[in-house]
Amino acid sequence: MATRHLIIGGGTAGMNAIRTIREEERERSDIALVSAEKPYSRMVLPYYLDRSIAESRVYTATAKVLADWGVKTYLGRRAVGLDTKANACALDDGTRVEYDDCLIATGSSAVRARVPGADGRGVHSFWTLDEARGVLREITPGSHVVMVGAGFISFTILNSILALGATLTIVEIAPQILPRMVDATGAGLVQQWLERHGVTVRAGATVTSIDDVAARGGKSKKRLSFKQGKDLVCDVVVMATGIKTNLDWLKDSGLRINAGIVVDEHLRSNVPNVYAAGDVAAGRDLISGAEAVHAIEPTAQEHGRIVGSNMAGRDVRYRGSLIINIVEVCHLDVASFGAWDDARAASITGLKADRPAYRKLLFSGDRLTGAIILGPSSDIWTTNDVGMLKGLVQSGVRLGAYRQHLERNPFDVKTAFIGSKTTAQLLPETVLGRPSKAPGDTPVAV
Amino acid sequence: MSALTTKVLKITPEKCTGCLRCELACSYMQTGTFQPAKSVIRVSPFEGHTSYAPYTCTQCAEGWCMTACPVGAITINAAGAKDVLDDTCVGCKLCTIACPYGTMFYDPDTRKAFKCNLCGGDPACAEACPTAAITYEDVPTVDWLGDFAAERSRRVLASAGAA
Repeated sequence: MATRHLIIGGGTAGMNAIRTIREEERERSDIALVSAEKPYSRMVLPYYLDRSIAESRVYTATAKVLADWGVKTYLGRRAVGLDTKANACALDDGTRVEYDDCLIATGSSAVRARVPGADGRGVHSFWTLDEARGVLREITPGSHVVMVGAGFISFTILNSILALGATLTIVEIAPQILPRMVDATGAGLVQQWLERHGVTVRAGATVTSIDDVAARGGKSKKRLSFKQGKDLVCDVVVMATGIKTNLDWLKDSGLRINAGIVVDEHLRSNVPNVYAAGDVAAGRDLISGAEAVHAIEPTAQEHGRIVGSNMAGRDVRYRGSLIINIVEVCHLDVASFGAWDDARAASITGLKADRPAYRKLLFSGDRLTGAIILGPSSDIWTTNDVGMLKGLVQSGVRLGAYRQHLERNPFDVKTAFIGSKTTAQLLPETVLGRPSKAPGDTPVAV
Repeated sequence: MSALTTKVLKITPEKCTGCLRCELACSYMQTGTFQPAKSVIRVSPFEGHTSYAPYTCTQCAEGWCMTACPVGAITINAAGAKDVLDDTCVGCKLCTIACPYGTMFYDPDTRKAFKCNLCGGDPACAEACPTAAITYEDVPTVDWLGDFAAERSRRVLASAGAA
């Protein structure tokens, strides 16, 4: 009998696992997919929001592709329980799906700040496709949109909201914007840049309530009240106040769960035939080696491929995932890598405030462990350095005297990268221990 | 698995004179205009602009750009090069941060990522190079610039140490 793989969650981790199983397996297995939503890419929702792509283009695998891959689908269904002794998963419609091995990749959901009115009309999250549709329906040219939360998610849709002709105010509870992506210096530069582009920013602002305001002649407006400072009146509120991993349904599963499901270097949980990947997995951090949840797209992708490979019978160990984030706002690139917020690390900064261009490089000895980079997206120098900084952090190459060189000129990353022979170190590196295949090269059902 | 016999851009940095013809040819082939700012091969100066070397995508085995792309917009073309499908790319920039070599590019005008695609198997840079510093050969990819750059930045580093 063929092996029965069960993939729970149709996001990046789940879809990469399915593809990799088909790429790697010697003998055709059975694959079942349980997904509450039709598989789509969350990364492209901002481009759906600004109408530069049609809704049909957000999907990562159509019904036809899934059929070609020979995947039995349970779409629109949620997993509600996992019986790891009986090797069976219960779905919300009473269906029971048996498996030989299983991947939990149920991702995260948006959470809203707990303030009165947060669940009211005209208040939206932007996380799922359905929520994106809701935001898209409400914004019209001239709308005043208030985004609560100035984190990565807010910043990915900032350009889209402006492109729809709305005016935008961003409020953030922390003293700075992008608190989990850049330091205070970087945040200050981004804030100035946004203000120059007509976006109002209020950091250190705690929302206390959101109410309806009756407007003269027509659509009612929303009023946000704050602990300090003036109220804000607007048309649409987008709450991007964080995410929460979808793990509640696993309470009685016997899986070891900390911030996420604890996984080993093969991405197996404490139950050997149950894997976890993406936002729900607490795996190894590449830089610190510590257990961490990295709720980012690249980690979901790498996790998914490692799991797919192991499910197909290979023995692939994961080195660990690297925190990488990049966002472009009004043609300013903002990126950070690795241990960029390690307060104990030795660091070097470079600043050209008028451009603006900012670099922060963090070291452990002569190895780069983290970096922040910020600069105009038209600046090729910035784009090239973004990648090279990732390469330096990822490879952990010993910089030797180039560390002092970077201290003198933190903008001359290229000389340090090439001269320290980082390319030689990176060339043999692959996630799966073999060359990657093109996305269209997945074997299909015969 | 049999080794893929795919030609690569072999760089012999000692032969580079810094003439920038590769950048002009590349941008002309890729965009139809002579604009080195849009070139995906870039000549880097060393030792205070007395040495030069062209730097471009290695078409690495992992294809970090390709595996990172959330919409499958980066594929492998007939020449074995990782290639961006313009119609599919949404411009999310994940590839620019995933590529550890710094050889992904982003065009703010078209809002698309772009990169070296070996001109589909007939690379304009190699054709344009007057000194054969760039050749298109069936050899394994190695770190063509590392030793050269290490040697040609020694004096810069020495003065840094003295500072």
